Amino acid sequence: MKLLNKKSSGLLFVAFFVSGFAAFAQDSAKGNLNITLSYFTDNNTLPYLSVKVKTKANGKFKMVSDIPLKLYLNNDSAVNLIKAVVTNDKGEAAAIIPPSLKSQWSGSTSHNFIATFDGNKKYESAKADLSVNRAKILIDTTSDKKIVASVLALKDTSWVPVKGVDVIIAIKRMDAYLNVNETATFTTDSTGKASADFKRDSIPSDANGNIVIVAKVDDNDQFGNLLIEKTVPWGAKFIPVNDFGKRTLFATSGRAPVWLILIAASIVIGVWGVLILLVVNLFRIRKLGLEA
Amino acid sequence: MENLNALTEEKIIQDLLPQKFGKVGKIWVVALSVVCLIGAFAYYRQLRYGLVVTAMRDYVSWGIYISNFVFFVAISLVGSLITAVFRLAHVEWSTPLTRIAEMIALSAIIFAAIIIIVDMGSPERFYNLFLHGRIQSPIIWDVIVITTYFFISLLLLYYPLLPDIKILLRYKEKTGRKLNQFYSFIGSYWKGTKEQARISRNALHVLSITIIPVAFTIHTVTSWLFATTYRPGWDSTNFGAYFISGAFLVGAGSVVVLMYVIRNAYHMEKYITRGHFEKMGRIVVLLALLYLYFNVNEYLVPAFKMKKSEDAHLTGLFTGEFAPLFWFAILVGMILPILILIFKKGRRPLPAFIAGCMVVVGAWFKRYLIVTPTLLHPFLPMHNVPENYRHYFPSWEEWAIALGSLAGAMLVITLLCRIFPIIPIQETLTEHHETAQ
Repeated sequence: MKLLNKKSSGLLFVAFFVSGFAAFAQDSAKGNLNITLSYFTDNNTLPYLSVKVKTKANGKFKMVSDIPLKLYLNNDSAVNLIKAVVTNDKGEAAAIIPPSLKSQWSGSTSHNFIATFDGNKKYESAKADLSVNRAKILIDTTSDKKIVASVLALKDTSWVPVKGVDVIIAIKRMDAYLNVNETATFTTDSTGKASADFKRDSIPSDANGNIVIVAKVDDNDQFGNLLIEKTVPWGAKFIPVNDFGKRTLFATSGRAPVWLILIAASIVIGVWGVLILLVVNLFRIRKLGLEA
Repeated sequence: MENLNALTEEKIIQDLLPQKFGKVGKIWVVALSVVCLIGAFAYYRQLRYGLVVTAMRDYVSWGIYISNFVFFVAISLVGSLITAVFRLAHVEWSTPLTRIAEMIALSAIIFAAIIIIVDMGSPERFYNLFLHGRIQSPIIWDVIVITTYFFISLLLLYYPLLPDIKILLRYKEKTGRKLNQFYSFIGSYWKGTKEQARISRNALHVLSITIIPVAFTIHTVTSWLFATTYRPGWDSTNFGAYFISGAFLVGAGSVVVLMYVIRNAYHMEKYITRGHFEKMGRIVVLLALLYLYFNVNEYLVPAFKMKKSEDAHLTGLFTGEFAPLFWFAILVGMILPILILIFKKGRRPLPAFIAGCMVVVGAWFKRYLIVTPTLLHPFLPMHNVPENYRHYFPSWEEWAIALGSLAGAMLVITLLCRIFPIIPIQETLTEHHETAQ
C-alpha cells in the first residue's frame, strides 16, 4: 500500500509537471492580436476597408505582419466574404467591397463589417467588427473663396443632411493637410453643411495655380472616414527655376562653363602645340640627315 | 695620348653598349612574363564574368587597381625630376641616371593608363570618355594629362637616344642583326651634324621645360580625383602638394633601386659610382622629410580637431583595422629610409638600395591607404548594408592583375635596358672629352 502510494504520488507529480509544462509552453508561445477595422469612402466612389493588426509585447504595441484575415460584410458566412487578406510588414491590409456583394450593400443603409483570424502557432484566434451607416460628403466653393462641405446620410432611399458632424476642411499638400484658415475642424449645421473661408492666397501651387482642397470626416463613430477633393485655381502659380540647361560645373558635357572650356582648351592647345612642334623638329632632323 | 683617349672612348662604348641577358637575366624575364600572364588570365576572367570577380562593392569601388594607378603615376614623376629639373639646373653628375629615370617614367605611365582601363567594368566603352567626356570632370583632365605626359616621356627618351643610335649602328656585330635593323629604322637619319645637334639640343631644352608643369599637373590632377570629393581623408586643400612630394620621393627611391640593380647586373661601377648613391641618398632624405612633413599636416591636423565625420577614418588608420599597414607605410616608407640615408655609411650602394626598396614598397601601401579606408566611411552610409561591404580585401584576380601590372612595368624597363644603352653613351663621351680637356 505504501509502495502504491509512493507510485501514485510519483505519477501524480509527473502528470502535474507535464501538464504544467504544457500549459506554460502554450501561454508563452501564443500571443493575442488586436484587430482594428476602419471604413473609408474617398470621393464617394468605391468604399473600402482597412484593417490593422497589432500585439502587445514587452509593454509595447507592435504591428504584426503576415496575419491572414477574412473580411465579411454583415455576417461571417462564406457568401458574405469581402476578401481574404494578409497583413503587410506594417501590419496593415485593405480590401474594397466587391461587386459580388452589391445586392447586400445596396439593400441596407447600415452595415456591419467583420474581420476574423483563425489563429496560428504564434497567435490565438481573434475577431473584430465595425458598424457604419452609409453616408457621403460633398464639397462646393463660391466665388469669394468660401468652401462649403455637406455631410449626408442615407435614410431609407434618400440622402438627408446630418447635423453635428466634425469636418476637416483643408488644403492637400505633399504629405499632409494644411488648414485653410486658423481653424482646423468645422461642425455641420442643421442643413448638414460646414463652411470655411479660404485664407491662403499666397500658397504655392502648380504651374496653373491649381491646388486641391479637401473636406473629410475622420473616424466618425457612425460614418467612418469620408473624404472628398476638389481642384481650385486659388494658389500662387509656381514657376520652377531650372538650371539644368545652364552652363555650370555640374551640367552635361555640352554645357560646361565657357571660362573652363577656354582655360582647358588653351592649356591643351599650348602644350600640344609645343609637342607637335617637337615632332616637326624630328622630321627636320631626319631631312637634314638624309641630305647630309 | 690620342691613342689612349681613343682606347678609353672605345672602352666606354664597349661598356655601355646594350648587353645580352645572362642566365639570371633570362630567368628574370621569364619570371616577370609568367606573372604578367597570370595577370592577363585574371583580367580575362574579369572581362568574362565582370567586376564581380573583384572584392570591390558599392562601398569600396576603388580598390588596389586605383591604388596601383596612383602609384604608377607617382613613380612616373621621376622622369621630370632627374631628367628635366637636373638638366635645367646643370646637375652634371646626373647624366648616367637620366635614361634610367626616363625608362622608369615611360613604363610607369604606360601601366598607369592600362590599369585605369582595367578598373573599368566595360572597357569596350572607353571611347565614350572622349566622345562624351565632361571637361568639368577631373577624370577627363586625368585622361588628357596622362596622354600628354606619355607623349612627352616618349620624346624625352627618344631625343637623347638619337646620337647613341648612331654609335649603336657602328657596332652591328655586337648588337645583333635584328636590333641593328631596329636602330636603323628609328634613327639612322642622325648624322650628328651641327644643325641636327642644335635642333635636338633646343628640343630637349623645350621638353625639359614643358615636362615640369605637365608632371606637376598629372599628379595634381590625380590628387584632385580624390580632393574634389567631400569625403573623410580626401577633403583636403593640401592634396596636390602632398601627392607631388610623395611622387618625387617614390620616383627617387625607384631610381636608387634601379641604379643598384643595373650597377651590379651590368658591372657599371665606373659609371654609376658610390658618389651617385651618396647624392641620390641625400635627395631621398630631403624628399622623405618633405613627404613626412605633408603627412604630419594631412593626419595630425584633422586628428587634432577629430571631427565626427573624420573620427572613424582616422581611428581606423591610427589604432584600428588599418593601423599595422599605416604605421608600416610611415615607418618603412619614410622614417627608416631617413634614418638609414641620413648617415654617410647609409648612403653606400647596398644600404641605399635597401632604403630605396623600403621607399618603393612603403609608397605602394601608402597609396592603398589613401584610396581604400576613406571609401569604407561614406558620409551617407547605405541602409542595411551587407557586412562584407564594410571590409575590403582584394580577390586573387585583383592581386594577380595588380602584380601583373607591376611585373609588366618591370618587364618594359628590363626590355628597354636590353634594347637601348642604359647610360647615355654620347653624353658620357662628351663629358669625358670635356674632363680630359
